[in-house]
Amino acid sequence: MLKFMRKKTVSVWKKDSRTLIAHGVLDDDIYGIELDVSVNIEDLRISAIEGKWNRWTTPECPRAIPELQRAVGFLIAEPDFSQKAHKVIGRKACRHFANLLLECSHSLREAALLGEWEDRKAAGEEARLGDITAEKAAPPPPPQSPPSAPRAAPVESAACPDEERGIDDKSRVLSADSPGLVIDLHVHTSPASPCSSVPVAEVIEEAKRIGLDGICLTDHNYVWTAPEVAALREEHGFLVLRGNEITTDQGDMLVFGLEEDIKGIIRLEELRKKVLQAGAFVIVAHPFRGFLTFGVGQLGLTPEKAMERSLFQHVDAVEVMNGKVTAKENQFAAEVASGLDLPVTGGSDAHEVSEVGVYATRFYETIRDEKDLIRALRGGNYVPLAYRKEKGF
Amino acid sequence: MANILTYSRNRCTCVEQVDENTLRATCTLQDTLTDAFVEILVGLPDLEIVDVRCEVKRTEQEPCKDPALSLAKVIGVRIGSGMLKIIKGLVAETTECKQLGFMVEECCHGVILSFTKDVLLVSSPRPTDQEEAREFYGKMVKENIRLYNRCAAFAPGSDLVRGVDPPK
Repeated sequence: MLKFMRKKTVSVWKKDSRTLIAHGVLDDDIYGIELDVSVNIEDLRISAIEGKWNRWTTPECPRAIPELQRAVGFLIAEPDFSQKAHKVIGRKACRHFANLLLECSHSLREAALLGEWEDRKAAGEEARLGDITAEKAAPPPPPQSPPSAPRAAPVESAACPDEERGIDDKSRVLSADSPGLVIDLHVHTSPASPCSSVPVAEVIEEAKRIGLDGICLTDHNYVWTAPEVAALREEHGFLVLRGNEITTDQGDMLVFGLEEDIKGIIRLEELRKKVLQAGAFVIVAHPFRGFLTFGVGQLGLTPEKAMERSLFQHVDAVEVMNGKVTAKENQFAAEVASGLDLPVTGGSDAHEVSEVGVYATRFYETIRDEKDLIRALRGGNYVPLAYRKEKGF
Repeated sequence: MANILTYSRNRCTCVEQVDENTLRATCTLQDTLTDAFVEILVGLPDLEIVDVRCEVKRTEQEPCKDPALSLAKVIGVRIGSGMLKIIKGLVAETTECKQLGFMVEECCHGVILSFTKDVLLVSSPRPTDQEEAREFYGKMVKENIRLYNRCAAFAPGSDLVRGVDPPK
């Protein structure tokens, strides 16, 4: 039986010698929307956009309409246009309008190619449409620039408390006032993580302000250099460590102790081999992050069934307190980790200053540098905690 | 000539229940330049892509004409958070034909929306007027704070997030 259908149509016509117009319609079991997008033929820049709801869900969905104007000025042939459409129109207006905008924009690009082909033929050129398509293929996005130039500063570790008492119960959650060293193991900064809006200095100062003992920079597929991080430690007098949130075919993994700059999507098995070769450590991040309107429970997934996922054979620990998922999803991850007897960690997954330290991990060993961190992670002598809440922030 | 269409596109995505443990999602694209079809089979309850096939009947793009074209790399990927980045990355390893990767994404979106529809249909009591709808969706954002500021409807200033603390 059919559960769902979405139909989209786009019609493009040339208004005049300078303007192409696309009329898009999206109609599915839940939503009905229309979009009119005008672009300048010369540079494929959006010059006008109008949207209309025919059917929607919440009483506040109409608030999306004025936000569509944010797309005016976007260049639809730019390599990062799709990302911008999702980020700006999807987040500020409505993701279904963003979806239809992408459909209209792609159609406009193809219509522009057809127009150019017709123009060349009219000018007597022997052009093949396929050749023009290849010519116009978008170049790959430019490489990201590093957040700051490496600074030649001496590596100096921040002072850390002496080794504290051991805790055997991995699933136990301690108070923020318990002894030990509290480190937020999952933090993003801008511009190293395009999805973050916070410069690293602000993240560090906030971590200091709320009394954390350290943070790990885990920007997406981004390797901070040792001198950069050493300079940050010295400048702020604070324990700053390096990690990396690497996207695999099985989801995001927090990796500590791997210097290799991995780009693209790596198979988890392949990452595991690299981790083992480097003596690194891998934690599966937010393994059960669900959807906007339903969670894993509604799919009928049980912890027992989830334990069978092969990915858990390739990780050393499980992040069971993540600031970007629901309490139920964190609880589900904790149940799975407990069933598999895997160590558990906490990290804020902060992308904003106010999120730093929402969750963290308390270690009962001295951690002065990355070697200490890896050793401590391997030792399993740590617990996750809801740091901000317990500290009353 | 003015008003005559220079380009037309029609895309249809369908999701159907094959059996208790399997969904089939298909995406059919027909436009002035392309005629293509992608199908994925999705295992429940993991939402794992267990099979994929595609057919390109008509295209002007060389990378999309490759008969050896394969989307097989997406097999094993779970539909869920971060899937767009994963699918784009994996498909880009195999082919430069971006349209096919997009069609896989559309199938995955269809699967998610089919569950969203279930949530909206089985909610009890279902909102019957504006005020009840505000209450219903307000409760939804409280239960899943990820919705906060995810779109205009749940942005600060909206009635749906009145009294809801921003996520920390």
